[in-house]
Amino acid sequence: MAGPLDQFIITNTVPLQVAGYDISFTNSAGAMLATLVVIMIFMIGGMRKKALVPGRWQSGVEMCYEFIAKMVGDTAGVDGRKYFPFIFTLFMFILAANLIGMVPWLHPFTFTSHIAVTFAMAFFVFIGVTLIGFATHGFKFLGFFVPHGAPWYLMLILVPIEIISYLSRPISLSVRLFANMVAGHTMLQVFGGFVVSLGALGGVLAAGSVLPFAFIVALTGLELLVACLQAYVFAILTCLYLNDALHMH
Amino acid sequence: MPQLDPAVFMPQIFWLFVIFGVLYFFITYSAAPKISDVLKKRQDKIAYDLGEAEALQAKAEAARLAYEKSQEEARHNAAVVVLNKREELKAYADAEYQKLSDGLNAKADEAQSRIDAAKEKALGDVRTVATEVCCDIVSHIAGLKLDKKDVSKAIAKKTETIGKGKS
Repeated sequence: MAGPLDQFIITNTVPLQVAGYDISFTNSAGAMLATLVVIMIFMIGGMRKKALVPGRWQSGVEMCYEFIAKMVGDTAGVDGRKYFPFIFTLFMFILAANLIGMVPWLHPFTFTSHIAVTFAMAFFVFIGVTLIGFATHGFKFLGFFVPHGAPWYLMLILVPIEIISYLSRPISLSVRLFANMVAGHTMLQVFGGFVVSLGALGGVLAAGSVLPFAFIVALTGLELLVACLQAYVFAILTCLYLNDALHMH
Repeated sequence: MPQLDPAVFMPQIFWLFVIFGVLYFFITYSAAPKISDVLKKRQDKIAYDLGEAEALQAKAEAARLAYEKSQEEARHNAAVVVLNKREELKAYADAEYQKLSDGLNAKADEAQSRIDAAKEKALGDVRTVATEVCCDIVSHIAGLKLDKKDVSKAIAKKTETIGKGKS
């Protein structure tokens, strides 16, 4: 039987090498492509009528849009509107990836459970936000690391702390999503394993496999919540970082 | 953990950037403008309808005020007409009354003068009769022939004194 972490194994479906770099189309890339296709179907299908009074599907698309638009407006302000398409893409991408990863039986791959993917996204956000900060404020952006009104001897401690906390942003951002996904999927796998093991024992113990199964049902609900929540958290933290870059403190 | 194998990093990051890039361009240039367009159209439609409703309400309010004003005017005019007519009728009635009462007074005066004339005439007749009766009685009883003129004078004198005594 597969171990609880085997679900995260990358399998090369189409091996590919360009200039010595391995860019094989893996099951992870397949999941990304599926995510892309699902989002495109969701949006094109939802907006095909462009109805004045929306149906359920169109309402769903509009709700996603307005939810993120409101979040960007509230946290990053008017200047942040420019970056709305990116935040919206980020949110939809992570949300769809997390939710597709929760579909039972198909046993899809959840690429947000890979630190390489989440860190790449977080690092991209971090670099982008830092560049926006310098582009907006020039070298004054370095003042972001200097807390207002602190005496000079405290600065010696506070400035390094501020810099470290700023540099650790991509790590915390990526690890939060990664760890949540890994933990959820591992737990589901472990309890799924219990169901199978107890069932294999037969007799009265087989009936006992109902308990871990019921737990899986509850856990699936929780994981759906986590899937949405983590996409939201990733998006809102990106907005907050963007706000810091645009307006400093 | 299979995630920590460095061999899996590169292909995933590559495809992440490719697919995320495609999704970003799709959302930025196709989906998001479409959605914001629909939302804006709806917002405009709602705003337009609200504006229209407000304009219509203002119109209705103006019509109501105009109606009330005209009603007030009409009521006022009616009161004026009633007042004028009443005064006119009163003047007419007074005039008619005056005319009638003048006519009646004239008739009454005429009748009075006629009565007076008749009374005078009757009194004259009574005197003549009295004179003749007096003459007849004297000639019959005393055999005297009286001058009618003297008798008539005496009677006139007597009636005058009686009339005076009585009145």
